[in-house]
Amino acid sequence: MRSRYSITLRIKRYDPDRKRSWSQDYKLEAGRILRFTDLFRKINNELDPTLAWNSSCEHAQCGTCAVKVNGKPLLACELLVENAVAFFGTTLFRVEPITIAPVVRDLIVDLEKAYERIEKIKPYVIDPVENPHPGNAYQVSPRDLEHYVEATRCINCFCCATACISSHRGFMGPNAVLASVVRIMDPRESAKAERLDMLYSDQGIYRCHTSMACSFVCPKEIDVAHFIALAKAGRFGAKGRK
Amino acid sequence: MIHLHVEGEAVNSKLRIHETIKCDVLIIGCGGAGLRCAVEIFEKMPGTRVIAVTKVPHPQKSHTSTAQGGLAAVDPDDPVDSPAYHMFDTWKGSDCMADQNIVKKIVESAWTQVIWLENHGMHFSRDEAGNLSKRTFGGHTLNFGQSSAFRAVFEADRTGKGIVDTLWGEALKGGISFINQSIATELLFEGKRCVGAVIFREKYGDFVKVLARATVLATGGSGQMFRVTTNCRQNTADGLALALRAGLPIMDPEAVQFHPTGIVGPGILASETLRSVGGILRNRDLEPFMERYAPRMKELAPRDLVARAIEKEIREGRGVLNPDHNVEHVWIDLRHLPDYVHDVQIPEVTGFFRRFVNIDPRKELCPVRPSNHYHMGGIPTNEFGEVQRGAKETVPGLIAVGECAAASFHGFNRLGTNSLLELITMGKIAGERIIEYLSQDPDTLPEVSPERTFSLFARFMDEKGEENTGRLRQEMQAVMTEKAGVFRTEHGLSDAVDSLRELYERAGHTSLSSKSLRMNQELVQRWEFDNLLAISMACALAALNRRESRGAHFREDFPERNDEFNHHTLVYMSEFGKVDFGKRPVDMSIYAAGGENYEKFGLIERKY
Repeated sequence: MRSRYSITLRIKRYDPDRKRSWSQDYKLEAGRILRFTDLFRKINNELDPTLAWNSSCEHAQCGTCAVKVNGKPLLACELLVENAVAFFGTTLFRVEPITIAPVVRDLIVDLEKAYERIEKIKPYVIDPVENPHPGNAYQVSPRDLEHYVEATRCINCFCCATACISSHRGFMGPNAVLASVVRIMDPRESAKAERLDMLYSDQGIYRCHTSMACSFVCPKEIDVAHFIALAKAGRFGAKGRK
Repeated sequence: MIHLHVEGEAVNSKLRIHETIKCDVLIIGCGGAGLRCAVEIFEKMPGTRVIAVTKVPHPQKSHTSTAQGGLAAVDPDDPVDSPAYHMFDTWKGSDCMADQNIVKKIVESAWTQVIWLENHGMHFSRDEAGNLSKRTFGGHTLNFGQSSAFRAVFEADRTGKGIVDTLWGEALKGGISFINQSIATELLFEGKRCVGAVIFREKYGDFVKVLARATVLATGGSGQMFRVTTNCRQNTADGLALALRAGLPIMDPEAVQFHPTGIVGPGILASETLRSVGGILRNRDLEPFMERYAPRMKELAPRDLVARAIEKEIREGRGVLNPDHNVEHVWIDLRHLPDYVHDVQIPEVTGFFRRFVNIDPRKELCPVRPSNHYHMGGIPTNEFGEVQRGAKETVPGLIAVGECAAASFHGFNRLGTNSLLELITMGKIAGERIIEYLSQDPDTLPEVSPERTFSLFARFMDEKGEENTGRLRQEMQAVMTEKAGVFRTEHGLSDAVDSLRELYERAGHTSLSSKSLRMNQELVQRWEFDNLLAISMACALAALNRRESRGAHFREDFPERNDEFNHHTLVYMSEFGKVDFGKRPVDMSIYAAGGENYEKFGLIERKY
């Protein structure tokens, strides 16, 4: 096992003041278990304080640090140097912002724009069904929850939407479908018709070309395509989930 | 040096208010506490104009999202649990420094808050009957310490995320306006009344003035003061620094909690479960050293004791250096545990080791060390979340909730699952208070101008020298970890104070590589460093002042609790390093009321 690697990050940069983009090489000596967010910090501290990159929790639970490395959208906080070398078979890594919203600077994209897709599908209970025991929790069978609990794990990192071959052409995007499906399958939501309207609209699931890139790249390993397939198969229709 | 951008136009001409926005309520920080407050306002007073500012690119990215374990709440239908037990556990855990009026209020409304979240669509884990599942958690007991209580409701290992998702959705529904990726640089006052804040919008590189009838600070923690922390990159004590700069005090800044086993590198928690299922802590020589510190309890000793044992091994040269992260640690050995334990009891944590350090816990030793986790101290508030200027007097129009605030529910040591409970409860209570306030207060907003923001930013822009803010921050984190962390002594803390002064000097010799205001992270980091230095200084000085050990604050030279110090510390800082101390008595109203079991709420020993 090697303990250190000489690697090059070829980072796509963008300066909003001059509206200029270029790519810049940073050569680093990196320990095997440093993560790409650690490398970005190292660049700021040792080579170039101007490189802008986003992150928040750095525990793979918020999705803020999503970038493309050698074309693959992923979370920089969980990509270890030695895993990257093994996976991509190189020590040269092209790092680019995710391609789902305009770039603000360097690796930072305008997530507000990206989130418009999610807000559009109304990521909340639109109209709760009447609670048979007011003042108490609804009863939700763990068996029912099992059907959609995977979809609730989505962190909106937009890796799926970046990899999706349809999401740049009007498709709401895989993670918006997930957010929608969660409430369609949630027995506490009564506004199913409104939700299905959105799902089967011209920005909806029939824009999906079933490449299954979403499932392949999802850092949370959610089988996103499965939920889209359920919708395409009409499993949310009048007969519901049963 | 690569790419130096020198702007053509005079930089300082951009330091001005670009726009003034008026609203009813300004909320600074969009984690669990800030959002819960917003939603309460929308439910009770639809149409209220609420603006919420977040430092992260989107509210969903807030640090609350990373909370794993659960949310403590006593179910009134539970035949064996009782709010009195929960209050006792919280009081005992706090080492007699929680305020009992707050403890009573939060514990008694806990279950209602859980039901509220569930009814608004949070995806709690369920038992076979479809009801909310409950699990045990360290320090939560039945019958005043007799046995473990099943008191924590949860959403798998992502309870915090469930809360943020639910609250963000509800806030959208209510018509909230978010200002994302932005920081509050100054609170605005008309006389003594807070009337809003100056907001720096990173994306546009401009400053806006938000005038509000009520302002809420919900900026979260301060974990970046330390080297290894479970906190996110943005937790840089901003709200506390904002209060200090406005001449307001912060309370108990020395009360900082360390989790014994953070995963080396990312600082993620390796849960207590690892020790309860039989994980063994080993030093460099592979010696199971807990036998020396706690011969009977060994690995199952309380959090703070285990943290001190690990830290001591490291300090005495029996730690292991991780070359990549340049951090010393010990090992936790899980190799002897059966597959069943790995697969069923600790899959998330073993997953963390695989994912973040490339280690298979079935075959290899796992690196862990004490990791900064939670700041019990914060901006002092009363039981409604209203910010206090002194032991009693409040600041009209200013509220603080969540980790940045100290009401205080946690005293000097927080119990697991009590923080999520505090966020949602105090958020709601603050929301209710704001509604009352808005209905009394005339709908007028004064024209006030910022006083400090532009001179501060001009200073950052003009500083010249060879120092690098990122590296200075690492030095500060090393000082705080070594001298003001798990172990504290007179000597070490005095050293820390000197080092912090020197770092403050050196920070004046940083030079920004780019003078652009737009998404200039170096500039924001420079601002954060000022905040971190101020709160680190307050923490070190308050720790020096508290010549006793209590909860998470451990003075090696004063290892016992001393009831002379049975009061909160208030710290005012007029300029860097120049502090005045005040005191706030600890509320002991449950004890004073003399009801059933009142004696459990006296100055009891914190022994487990």
